[in-house]
Amino acid sequence: MDGIHDLGGKQGYGKIDVDEAEQAFHARYEGVGWTINQTTRAPGMSIDWWRHIRELTPPVDYLTRPYFDQWAMTQLIAMIDTGQLNLDEVLSGDITPLHASPPGMSIADVHRATQKAGVRFDRDVEQSPKFSVGDQITTRCYSVSGHTRLPGYAQGKIGIIHERHGAHLFPDACAQGDERAEHLYSVKFNSQTLWPEDKQTNNWIYIDLWESYFVD
Amino acid sequence: MSSHDPDKVKDLYHTLHSHLPSEPALRVKTIENLLVEKGYLDQQTIDNWIEVYSEDIGPKRGAQVIARAWLDQEFKQRLLTDASEAIDDYGFLGKATAHLKALENTDSVHNLVVCTLCSCYPFSLLGMAPNWYKTAAYRSRAVREPRAVLKEFGVDLDDQVEVRVYDSTAELRYLVIPQRPLGTEDYSQQQLAGLVTRNSMIGTDRDLAKNMGG
Repeated sequence: MDGIHDLGGKQGYGKIDVDEAEQAFHARYEGVGWTINQTTRAPGMSIDWWRHIRELTPPVDYLTRPYFDQWAMTQLIAMIDTGQLNLDEVLSGDITPLHASPPGMSIADVHRATQKAGVRFDRDVEQSPKFSVGDQITTRCYSVSGHTRLPGYAQGKIGIIHERHGAHLFPDACAQGDERAEHLYSVKFNSQTLWPEDKQTNNWIYIDLWESYFVD
Repeated sequence: MSSHDPDKVKDLYHTLHSHLPSEPALRVKTIENLLVEKGYLDQQTIDNWIEVYSEDIGPKRGAQVIARAWLDQEFKQRLLTDASEAIDDYGFLGKATAHLKALENTDSVHNLVVCTLCSCYPFSLLGMAPNWYKTAAYRSRAVREPRAVLKEFGVDLDDQVEVRVYDSTAELRYLVIPQRPLGTEDYSQQQLAGLVTRNSMIGTDRDLAKNMGG
């Protein structure tokens, strides 16, 4: 989706606040937004569909509302989408409690959950990888309205296969409920092929890309 | 079951946007209350997640790993070969680090990590991502003018130093191994870890000698 989230290379966003206080959360609601997302995701919900819901945040909100406020909203919508919550009860405030609530989490439970969340995304596939390290590839100009992880700035560009990662779950398909894997590569692009105005010859951008993103 | 229906999601954003309070803290509080009342969440759980990610799971973990890599060549090789396996020595393998890659800075190479499409970050190793990492300014500029971005962070790179920007578009996550400062031969592992900044493991900091003190 050619949406507001696809920010790589866009201009006009100004300076970075490099002096921000280094702390995990700057307000309690940030921690609440984080916790909601770590604890209430429906079993089996793909990260890719969640990311697509996030990408569908209205553009003005995406650029102006605080990060964890957006995360809380995204997760609320994800929960209504999966049926974990009913839209009517959200709108009316007349909530029907669950028959069985998950038990409260202790400090040890949080650590266990963080470790358990180290899920792998690589899968065995029958197909052999089509490309080898050192091969030159051209990325597709990819007009899809759904979720993709091929950034706009890297479309229709020439790069070099830097590393193969085996097959990983393919986000474009997974976001549509079709869980399948495809070969994944780290591809290096010279900055001048992406940004013709760049005078520096030794800036390289490495992007992890799936085979479907390459022109055959 | 997820609907995988973007139109349904767009309608939900529209409906909820006008229904929920606009002020961020208040909006999150409203969502929190809904989930507590429904039974998905309780205060103790929230408090404990905030505590763990404020106290235990943060950049100190990464710093410990970097300091060991500086002292222990075999460990450094393991980190470069399979960083997920290596950090599991410490029990740090977890949220978003199952496919972790370590990137080594040298005199002639500087690595910088970004996620232009969202905000991917190796949570179980570095904790919560800084706000700037999630902003449009950083995400848009890191891939287009990395040297200008680095300069804003106080990193003035010589033109000869190659810059490698890693855009985290898949489930791989990246950890930069900064260079060990000269003059730290007598430092203990703990002292070395004290020199390692969060930003140096993302790539927006480079020279750690400035942290050595007098």
